[in-house]
Amino acid sequence: MVEFLQFTLSGIVFGMIYAAVALSLVLIWRGTRLLNYAQGGMAMFTTYVAIEVIHHTGSYWAGFAVALVAGVVLGAAFQLTVIRPTMNKPPLNAVIVTIGLLTLLEGVAGILYGGQYRSFPAAFSITGLKIGTTPLGVSRFDVFVAAAVLVTTLVLAAAFKYTTAGLRMRAAAFNTTIARLSGIRVARVLTVGWALAGLIGALAGVLVSPSTFLYPNSMDTIFVFGFTAAVIGGLDSPAGAVAGGLLLGVVLSYVAGYLGSKGSDLTSLVALGILVVVLMIRPGGLFSAARVRQV
Amino acid sequence: MSSGLDSAAGPGAPAAGSGPALAVEELVAGYGGVTALDGVSISAGTAAITAVLGANGAGKTTLLRAVSGMIRPRRGRVLLGGTDLAGRNPEQMVRAGVAHVPEGQGVIAELTVEENLRIGMMSWRGGLRRTAGGTAVPGHSRADRAAALDEAYERFRPLADRRRKLASTLSGGERQMLVIARALLARPRVLLLDEPSLGLAPRIMTQVMDLVVQLSRENGLTIVLVEQNARGALAIADHGVVLNLGRVVASADARTLAADVALRHHYLGF
Repeated sequence: MVEFLQFTLSGIVFGMIYAAVALSLVLIWRGTRLLNYAQGGMAMFTTYVAIEVIHHTGSYWAGFAVALVAGVVLGAAFQLTVIRPTMNKPPLNAVIVTIGLLTLLEGVAGILYGGQYRSFPAAFSITGLKIGTTPLGVSRFDVFVAAAVLVTTLVLAAAFKYTTAGLRMRAAAFNTTIARLSGIRVARVLTVGWALAGLIGALAGVLVSPSTFLYPNSMDTIFVFGFTAAVIGGLDSPAGAVAGGLLLGVVLSYVAGYLGSKGSDLTSLVALGILVVVLMIRPGGLFSAARVRQV
Repeated sequence: MSSGLDSAAGPGAPAAGSGPALAVEELVAGYGGVTALDGVSISAGTAAITAVLGANGAGKTTLLRAVSGMIRPRRGRVLLGGTDLAGRNPEQMVRAGVAHVPEGQGVIAELTVEENLRIGMMSWRGGLRRTAGGTAVPGHSRADRAAALDEAYERFRPLADRRRKLASTLSGGERQMLVIARALLARPRVLLLDEPSLGLAPRIMTQVMDLVVQLSRENGLTIVLVEQNARGALAIADHGVVLNLGRVVASADARTLAADVALRHHYLGF
């Protein structure tokens, strides 16, 4: 029973990180039907920026804040410089450009920082919390991770729902033609989408790196799991991204926990299994908006 | 305000009185290697209804898309009140006063009725705006927007009862109402309507056509109406233009066109 609680809680924490990556992918997918393969690379890069700032200032929070800003800047800059010219071209062009960006980011990180594993500090204690003498399997920092992603998601959801800027983004995502004919500057909205995706990706990078170490490829696995979570959720839906992330995180935590060392080798396979099962039952993903057409 | 009833001018020639609100001159446009419009000129009189008719593939929809900036014309001019705006993008055209209602009851189904209407005001200026003299004056306020919404609900009663419902729950007629209401919220001078009666029951179709007449007669809107239903369109239009394979084959007073049996048989199918 205690084990079950521990595995569930730590699954939720990792699930929240997958959810953050999934959310960043969904933000770009919704507007342009483009999967940003560079999302993990961007998060890795902004986390290196955070490490540098932390070393120079000695302040974790300065590094945290600069990473998020760097995420916004990187997202907007990539969209404006290399993604925008691929619009109105075959969709594969943009995909290739994002793969190129990933290679570029990992290459530049390797040149600047080398390939060795670097530890990344946590904001709070990483010793496990206990209720009485029962260990919960999560630390104070883990609680912060889950809370940070949750708050970010809720703020984002509220902004989408209740602000004019949010309505503009939703309109552009759902129907570009009507949005443009109504005077919404869709190109600008897409830049904002990339900036927000960069922000959330950067958050995921800073939050996950204390548990994974940081190296130029360190976000690759997280990206794959985040992508899986996004597809499970339906790729179109921010709520689906979070649900998909949590589902994936908890199930993988049970597999790794109950099956011991064998389980950790199985996680990728199990993630694929969940994906296949979900897509068999609901081909559009759990929260898909796509309606099944009846002829 | 001119009634527009006598603005049956030929292509290029200014309409009687205030002149055309919208004139298209020698417009050439297409997609890839296909030329869909091959030197089309039309002139839409102020506060009049100009029907654009023709078979499938005649270039009707392309004409509207080229005027509203959805596609960039290769050559030709799009004159709005005498200013050439050819090549502007849709975001600029709606601010210049051209609202385009595309074919297919274009509501955003995933948004509520009210959100769809608010999108109609996205071209409005908020904050401070500069006047011609260079002084900064306040743009449209929250209250202005609320008042405009109220006005829309006043005019389109059924929408008021459903403002919090998703647009996907509306009937075909209500959707068309919503789409037109949204276009009107942009406060256009020229309204481009693409097949507004498509897929509607005959009774609803009549209501939509009545609304189009009202918009031109009472609100003074200049309307360019693309219709497959040529008989219905000519019944309400002041002027008619018939396109065939990207060229104008006839342009005349709507009653003259409707009386031309050979033309009707050959191009309009009634």
